[in-house]
Amino acid sequence: MSARWARYRGLLGPYLVAAALGYLLGSRSVSAFDAVLGADAPAAASRVGLALREGPQAPVQAQLASGADLRAVAASLPSPRREVFDLVVAVRGLHDGGKSDWTRAEQTCRALAWPRCDRVSLEQLKQQSVP
Amino acid sequence: MTRRFATRVLGPLAAFALASLAGHERATAEQRRLASASAALTDRERKSLESAPAFAIANATWALGSEDAVKTMLRFELDRLPENEGTARARAFVRFGMIDANPDGQAAVFFQACASDSSLCERPRLVAAAEREASVRFVDPGRHLPAYLLSGHPTTP
Repeated sequence: MSARWARYRGLLGPYLVAAALGYLLGSRSVSAFDAVLGADAPAAASRVGLALREGPQAPVQAQLASGADLRAVAASLPSPRREVFDLVVAVRGLHDGGKSDWTRAEQTCRALAWPRCDRVSLEQLKQQSVP
Repeated sequence: MTRRFATRVLGPLAAFALASLAGHERATAEQRRLASASAALTDRERKSLESAPAFAIANATWALGSEDAVKTMLRFELDRLPENEGTARARAFVRFGMIDANPDGQAAVFFQACASDSSLCERPRLVAAAEREASVRFVDPGRHLPAYLLSGHPTTP
C-alpha cells in the first residue's frame, strides 16, 4: 500500500508542478505582453476611469483595474501628477478590488510633502476621489 | 516505454498547457469586461472616461494638497481642458480664486469662472460653487470662502 502510494506521489509531483507553473505563466503573460507591446494609454485611461467612477461602495470586481492599465496611465503622466495618481490608486484600492493600501498611500502622500497624510484624511480622500 | 513517456512527459505537458490557459483566461476576464463596457459607450462618454484619472488627480490634490501643489495642478488643468469644457474650467477658476490671497486676484479669477460658465455670473450660484469646493478641501488655504465672496471687493480709500 505504502509502496503504491509512494509511486503515485512520485507521478503526481510533476503534474502538480507543471500545473502550478502553467497557471502562473498564463496569468502573468498578459501583463508581460502589455509591458513589451505597450498598452494603449487612452484606452487604458478609459478602463481605469470606469473603475474610478464606480465609487468605494461598488462591488469588488467593478473597482478593479488591471495592473497593465494602471501602469500605462501612470507612465503617461509627468511628475508629480504620477505620484498623485499612485496615491489615488492606493486609497481607492484599484489594484485590489477596492481594498485600500493605507501604508503605501501614506508613504506616497508624505513623499508629496502634503500638509496632512494621516489615516483620517486619507479616508476622506477616498470618499472624495470619485471623478 | 511509450506509456512511461506519456505519464512522465506528455501528461505534465498537458497539465501545464491546460493550467496556463486557465491562468490566462482568469487574468484577461476583467480586461474583457472593462473593454466590452467601454466599447458600448459613445465617443463623448469615452472621452469623459479618459479624463476621469485626470479629474481624480485634480480632486485628490484639491482635497489634501499644499498651496503650491494646488496651483501647479490648476495651471495644468487649465492648459489641459479645452474652452468647450466650460463647467470644468470654471471649477478650476473657482478653486484658484479660493486659494488666492489677493482680492484683486480673486476678482480676476472669479470673473474668468463666470466667463467659462455663465451660470456662475450670478453671485449666489458662485458662492454656492465656492462653498461646495470648500467642503471638499481638508487643508488651508481654501477651506473657507474668500473675502471677495463674503463681502465683495474691498473699496479703495
